[in-house]
Amino acid sequence: MNKTEILKYLLLILIAAAMFLPFFWLVSASLQKYEEIISIPLTWIPSIPQWSNYLEVLTNSNVKLGLYFKNSFIVSTMITVLVLLTSSLAGYALAKLTFPGRDFFFNFILSTMMFPTFIFLIPVYYILRKFPLLGGNNLFGQGGSGALTSYAGLVLPFMVSAWGIFLMRQFMMNIPDDFLDAARIDGAGEFRIFTVIIAPLVKPAFVTLAIFQFISNWNAFLWPLIVTTSAQYLMTLPVGLRMMVTAYSTSTVQNRLFAATVLGIIPTIIVFLALQRHYVKGITLSGIK
Amino acid sequence: MGLKSSRRRAMRRAVTGYLFLSPAIVFYLIFLIIPVGMSIYISFKKWNMLVPLSSSKFIGWKNYQDLFKDEMFLYALKNTLIWALGTVFLGMLIALGIALLILKVRRASLWRFLVFAPVVTPLVAVARIWQDGIYKTSGGMLNSILTLMHLPPQHWLANDQIALFSIMAVAIWAGVGSTVIIFTAGLKGIPEEYYQAAKIDGANAWHEFFHVTLPLLRPTILFLAVTGLIGAWQAFDLVFQMGAGGTQSGVSSLKSIILLNVYLYQTAFQNLRMGRATAGAFILFLIVLCFTFVVLKILRQGGVESYE
Repeated sequence: MNKTEILKYLLLILIAAAMFLPFFWLVSASLQKYEEIISIPLTWIPSIPQWSNYLEVLTNSNVKLGLYFKNSFIVSTMITVLVLLTSSLAGYALAKLTFPGRDFFFNFILSTMMFPTFIFLIPVYYILRKFPLLGGNNLFGQGGSGALTSYAGLVLPFMVSAWGIFLMRQFMMNIPDDFLDAARIDGAGEFRIFTVIIAPLVKPAFVTLAIFQFISNWNAFLWPLIVTTSAQYLMTLPVGLRMMVTAYSTSTVQNRLFAATVLGIIPTIIVFLALQRHYVKGITLSGIK
Repeated sequence: MGLKSSRRRAMRRAVTGYLFLSPAIVFYLIFLIIPVGMSIYISFKKWNMLVPLSSSKFIGWKNYQDLFKDEMFLYALKNTLIWALGTVFLGMLIALGIALLILKVRRASLWRFLVFAPVVTPLVAVARIWQDGIYKTSGGMLNSILTLMHLPPQHWLANDQIALFSIMAVAIWAGVGSTVIIFTAGLKGIPEEYYQAAKIDGANAWHEFFHVTLPLLRPTILFLAVTGLIGAWQAFDLVFQMGAGGTQSGVSSLKSIILLNVYLYQTAFQNLRMGRATAGAFILFLIVLCFTFVVLKILRQGGVESYE
């Protein structure tokens, strides 16, 4: 081994430590007693693992972790399903159908990725409150609380994804037109072609997009924070954990907060570990034109 | 006859196209086009969202003028500029280093998972780890190391001079994984022949990097800079979690960590100044446009556009 090799391995070990140790500390802290958490220097290994931290956080009726999990799961799943549907439909139109204005729509959808959230956030909040026929509103959006008091408020503004449409279009562009023309000659309608031929062929894109959407919506913070300030029963996990932070961070039950945080990480890590290959592919795809 | 039927077919195909696109069109109409139009209108209004928009007062450019008289907004502009440039370009530099290191190492996928784990972790958890584990004033990891080296401990998140940089480090740590993966893909896309040709010409590793790798990575760098800056100008979660959102005792937070999106959030949803917040959003939009334009201009001129 020469000097550069040694340097290389030292750097690699440093990177590994910098990436791994913070997580290790969190898991360790979630199993510590309070005295160990506040000890100086830091405790790395709990003397006796306190599994009760987890038990408490799961069973304590003041901590609504179950509710946060349920909300996050429902919201992320609903958004994921809707995005898969809307992205594949739009992607098919943009990749395989010809109609006036197609390039305009494609460029428009791409350009929306550049819009800062706050340019439409305040009107969207207002529009959702005045949404017709939801939350007790009449046809003209009056009289009730609109979409903001139900899952609709968390799901509707995210049911279309510009990135999702882009991804689907890129995938479908690669499908040879001969396939579709053959089906057309046999008299198949476009919707039938879409469900029978296209959908099975772009399954990898569906998987990639689904993981992406699920993880990013599971972790979403700003919009759920705004919506659930007035509707606490809709709180998703990140917002709920944030509530726990403000309540717990200086108290003697800090260790429960760490236990709850570990539990909050688990779903995304599992999804990622199980489907890592597809996730990485999605990121790579977004990087090429 | 044939012309007529082919025209009819074209017509039918167009209708089908719009039909497939219709969910997206309706969505963008309700959640983007109408809202942006409303935002332009709101930015000239004094409106608190509690009264109907139509009955609020029209005040012209005053929201825009007030923004530039607001000390907090100017702080937020400065902070976000530092944040965006720092996290994006330093992040890219570190990511490129890591990507080069792990490119030819054994078990590259394991290394990629290691650097990628923070990317899929909710930022609320990332904030917890750094705030309570690494940056904690008494007994935190960093201060323990400083003490070992006989250096004075720091208030990483409570000192206005360094708090922004402390959180920038966290943002880089949490985001470097996806940049590494994109760089890895870019590096793998460089044809091996280029390196062989460079070797024949007697290039050392240094030459190879500056005359082969870097120029051929230009499209990747361009993509990362543009998308990174668009995201970084809108950063919110981390700074909000690590202090800018206020603490449990309601103490006001440090000036140095108020980023534009935090300022807009507070202006809109805590002070209920919808007009001023949307005006600020348009200024943010202009900045993002300018940055995108400048980056495209700098990185696109000359050099290799694509090597496919």
